[in-house]
Amino acid sequence: MTGLPGGASVAGLLARVRSLYRGLRHRADVESDMVEEFGHHLAERTDDLIRQGLAPDAADRQARREFGHAGTHRAQAREAIGLRSFAQLRFSWLDVKLGLRMLLKHPMLSLAAVFALAVGIPVGLAPSHIARALEAPLPGDADDRVRAIRFWDPLSSGVAPTWDDEFTFWQATLHSFSSLAAFRTSTYNVSLADGPSAPAAGALLSASAFNVLRAGPLLGRVLDSGDFAAGAPDVVVIGYALWSSRFGRDPGVLGRSIRIGRTLHTVVGVMPDGFRFPANEELWLPLRLASVGGVDERTPVRVLGRLADGVSVQQAQAELSSTGVPPLINADDAAERSRLRPEVVPFGLLYLGLPAGGLDSLTEFRFVQMLMFVLLLVACGNVAMLVFARTATRFRELAIRTALGASRSRIISQIFVETLLLAVVAAGVGVLVVNWALAHVNLAALAGESALPYWLSLDVTPATVFSALALAAVSATVAGVAPAIAITGHAFSRNIRDRSGVHFGGLTSALVVADIAVSVAAVGMALAISAHATDLQAANRATGIAASEYLAVEFRLPADDRGFTGARADLGARDRLRARLAADQRALVAALEQEPGVKRVAVGDVLPRMEHRSRPYELEGVDHAPDAPRRWTRLARVDAGFFDALERPILSGRNFVRTDAEQDAQVAIVNTAFVERVLEGRNPIGRRVRFPLAADTGSAAWYRIVGVVGPLGVDMLNAERGEAVYLPAAPGTINPMQLGVHAVTSPASLTGRVREVARTVDPDLVMGRVSVLSDVRQGDWYLVMGLAAGLVLLVGVLIALATSGLYAMLSLSVSERTREIGIRAALGASRPSLLATILKRSLLQIGLGAAIGLPIAARFVFELTGTPDGGGSVLRSMALALGLSAGIVALVGLSSCLVPTRRVLAIEATEAIRAES
Amino acid sequence: MAPSAALLPGNLEMVILKAISLGDVHGYGVLLRIEQISGGAILVQQGALYPALYRLEHKGLIAARWGTSDNNRRAKFYHLTALGRRQLSKEQNSWQRLADAIARSLTATLQET
Repeated sequence: MTGLPGGASVAGLLARVRSLYRGLRHRADVESDMVEEFGHHLAERTDDLIRQGLAPDAADRQARREFGHAGTHRAQAREAIGLRSFAQLRFSWLDVKLGLRMLLKHPMLSLAAVFALAVGIPVGLAPSHIARALEAPLPGDADDRVRAIRFWDPLSSGVAPTWDDEFTFWQATLHSFSSLAAFRTSTYNVSLADGPSAPAAGALLSASAFNVLRAGPLLGRVLDSGDFAAGAPDVVVIGYALWSSRFGRDPGVLGRSIRIGRTLHTVVGVMPDGFRFPANEELWLPLRLASVGGVDERTPVRVLGRLADGVSVQQAQAELSSTGVPPLINADDAAERSRLRPEVVPFGLLYLGLPAGGLDSLTEFRFVQMLMFVLLLVACGNVAMLVFARTATRFRELAIRTALGASRSRIISQIFVETLLLAVVAAGVGVLVVNWALAHVNLAALAGESALPYWLSLDVTPATVFSALALAAVSATVAGVAPAIAITGHAFSRNIRDRSGVHFGGLTSALVVADIAVSVAAVGMALAISAHATDLQAANRATGIAASEYLAVEFRLPADDRGFTGARADLGARDRLRARLAADQRALVAALEQEPGVKRVAVGDVLPRMEHRSRPYELEGVDHAPDAPRRWTRLARVDAGFFDALERPILSGRNFVRTDAEQDAQVAIVNTAFVERVLEGRNPIGRRVRFPLAADTGSAAWYRIVGVVGPLGVDMLNAERGEAVYLPAAPGTINPMQLGVHAVTSPASLTGRVREVARTVDPDLVMGRVSVLSDVRQGDWYLVMGLAAGLVLLVGVLIALATSGLYAMLSLSVSERTREIGIRAALGASRPSLLATILKRSLLQIGLGAAIGLPIAARFVFELTGTPDGGGSVLRSMALALGLSAGIVALVGLSSCLVPTRRVLAIEATEAIRAES
Repeated sequence: MAPSAALLPGNLEMVILKAISLGDVHGYGVLLRIEQISGGAILVQQGALYPALYRLEHKGLIAARWGTSDNNRRAKFYHLTALGRRQLSKEQNSWQRLADAIARSLTATLQET
C-alpha cells in the first residue's frame, strides 16, 4: 500500500500537497492535535483497564507502557506527513556568518556570481516592472479611481476613435462615474505678443477634466464652466515649463496675453511642476464641443472619468457594456461601430493603445518576458556551476559534518543560505545599478521621444525591491539547491566512504554543455546582427534617394476650431480646415521652391527612410485563399510632384498628375520590389489593387496601377526588398504632412528659412520635427541597433560567466581524476595519450555545446533577414562567429583542462595515487 | 480467542482502512475495532497505529474531524474519503486474488499440477 493509488494519482497528489501545506502553515495546530489525540487514547485505554479491575494508578501506568514513547510516535507521525525534512531545514545566524565567510574566502568566485545575478535579476524583473508602471494610477490619483473609457476594435487590435457625441452620451447615461472628461491634444504655435513663435504641445480639455484629475493650479485658477460658454473670452492655463521659459516664472503672469496661432489668449492659471496631462503638454484650452452637427462635424476625443464612490471597475465595465454605445447616426456608421467593444481601462493603456489586459496580454511581451527569464536562468546556471565547484572543494568539511550527524537537508539548507546571501547582495547591487541608470539615462531619447509621459514613473518602488528579493530567492533555489542536491545525492555517502571526493555527473555535464551552447549562440547572434546593421547602413546609402540632400520637415495645422477661427466650431469646419490646409500646402511649396537654396519640395504623409504604414492588400486577379494569411504592403500618400522632387524617375507607365487626386481618379504607383515580389516581374500596369479593412470583404475601392518607380527606401531592414504602393493625395488631405525639401547645398542650413516662410504663409501652421533625411531613423533601425547593443552586452556577460563557470567546472573535473591519471601513468600510459583521455570529455562537451548553439544562431539569422544565409556578409559573419565563439570557448575550456592536467602530469604516478588514498 | 497473526508489512493500512470503512471512529476505537473484526487475531502495536493513520490522512484516503466520544471526551474521528473507498476496494480485490492463489498453491496435489 505504498505509492500513489493508481488511477487516482492526481487526487492523491493534491491531498498530499494540501496536507503538507496545512502542516507547514498551521504547524502548531498539527502538533497540539497530536498531543490531544494521544492524550485521548491514553484516557480511553486507562478507563478500559480500570473497568478490567486495575487500580487507577496502575491502569494509567499500564496504558502509558503499552502506548510507548509519545515523542517517538509524534516524530513518526511528522515523518508520515512529510514534515520531518522541513523540520531539518533550519536557518541560523551561523549559516549566515558561514555564508559571509565563504563570500570573502572565494572573492573572485563571489564577484563572478554576484555579477551574474546582478545582471540576471534586474533583467528578469524588468518586464513586470514596466507592465506595472504602465497601469499605475495617474499622479494625484492616490486612490486609483481614474479610468479611461475607449472603444477597442478587436479586428484591428487597436483603439478606435471615440467621437464627441459618444462622450456626451456617456456623460448623460453612465452612473458608474462621478464625472467624465474629454480631451484632445495638438501642437500650437505659441508666442508672446508679437515675439517669435515656437511650437508647444497643448490639450483641449472639457469642463470637468481638472476635477476628474483632482489637479489644482499653482497660480490663478483652472478652467471653469464660464470658459466654455459661447462667446466667452479666450483663456489658457499654462504649464510650469511654459511659465518658466516664456514668463521667467513671473508671479504676475495672470491676465497677460499669449498668442496661440493667430488668437490672443489670456493666462488665467499656472499648473504646478509635474502636471503635463495627458503626456507632456504645456498649455490647456477649453474644449468646446459642437452642440449641433452631422456626422461630418463629429470630432474625435479621448475620454476619462472618476469612478463613483463604491463602484468597482468591473461594475463600471458592466454598465458601459450594457449601455455603452449611443444611438448611431447613420447606417454605414452602425455597421462599422457595431463591432467595437467599449472598455474601462487604466489611463496608460488608453494612451499607449494597449489591449485591456495590458502588456501581459501581448504574445510579444510574453515572449520577451520568457527571454528575460531564460537569461536569468542562464545566469543561475552559471552561478550553480560556481557553487558546485565551490562546494566540491569543501567535500572534506561536508564529510565531517555528515559524520557528526548533519542530515542531507541540513547541508542543503546551509548551501542554500550561502547562495541566498550571494543572490541578495546581487539583487541589491542590481537594483542600485538600475536606480542609478534610470536617473542618468534618458529613456525618452531611447524610445525616440522628447520626454516620457508625465505619469510614467519607472522608479524603483518597494514592490520592485520585494520582487527583486523574491527573484533572489528563486535564483538561490536554482543556483544553490540544485548543486547541493547533486553533491549530497545517493553517491555522497559512498564517496565519503571511498574518500573519492565529488564526482561530476550528468547535471554538471548538462550545465557545461548548456553554457557553451548559449555562449556560442549569443556570439553568433551578436556578430550576425552587427554585420546586418552594417549591411543596412551600406544598403541604405546605396539605395533610394540622395537622402543627405533633403531636409525633412513636418507641418500640421491644428485640427480644432481654436487655431483658425478663434471661436467655436460651426457647420463645415472640417471642409474649411481642409481647404485652408490645401491653400497652405500650395503656398508653402510654391514659396519654398522660390527660395534660392531649394530645388524642389516633395509632400507626402511619409518620406523615404521614415516608418511607412503597413496595410493589408488584395491584387485583382491573383488567387488568394480566403483563409490564407493576408498580405501586407507599405503604403504612402504623396502629392503629384513627389517622385520628381525626389529625382526618382518613373520606370514604366506614367507619373501622377494633379488631376489624379483632385478628381479622385483612384490610381496607384508601385515600386519595383512590389513588381518583383508580388507579381514576379509581370507587367503591373493596368492591374488593380485595394486595401480592405479586416472586416471589409468587398466594399474597399480599387486602385489602378499606372506606374512603377524604383526603390526609395521604405524598409530600413531591407532597402531593396520593401514593397510599397503610392497613392495620390490632393493638397489639404494630409495632416500632418512631411515636406522633403531638396537643398542645393546644406539642407540643415535651410531650417530657419523654412520656419520663416511657413510663418508668413500661415501663423497657425505648426512646424514639427526637422532633420536631414539621411539622419531619419525608422523604429526598425532602432530595434536592430538596440538588439545589437543589447546582444553585445549580453555576449560580454555570458562570456564572462561562461569563462568563470567553465574554468571552475572543467579544472575541478580534471583535478578529481588525479588518482585515475596516476594509475594510468603508473601503468605506463604516455603523456600524449593521457592528455587525450583527459581532454576527450571536455572536448566532447565543447563540441556538443557548439553544435547546439550554432543552429540557434543560424535560425536567428533566418528570422532576422528572411533568408537562410542572410546575404553574403551575414553568412561570412556567421562563419566568423563560429570561429570566434568556438575559439573563445575552446580557449577557456582547454586552458581550464590543461593547467590542472599539466599539474597532475608533473607529479609522480605513485605520489598521485598516495595523495588521493 | 483466535491465535494472533502478524501483519505483513503494508497490510496494516489496509486493515485500518477496513476498520474505518465500517463507521466513523477515533484512534483508540480503530484498535478495538480491528481486534473485534479479526476475532482478536490481529493486535496492532499502539505505537504503529498513529503514524499509519497520519500517513493515510496525508494521502487523502481518510479524513478527520473533531467530535465527542462515548465517554464525553473530545476526540478525533476518522472517516473514509472517496479516494480511500476506491483504494480499499482495490486492495481487497488484490488481497483476495493473492490469498486465493496462495490457498490454491498450498492445497495443490500432484495431479493438479
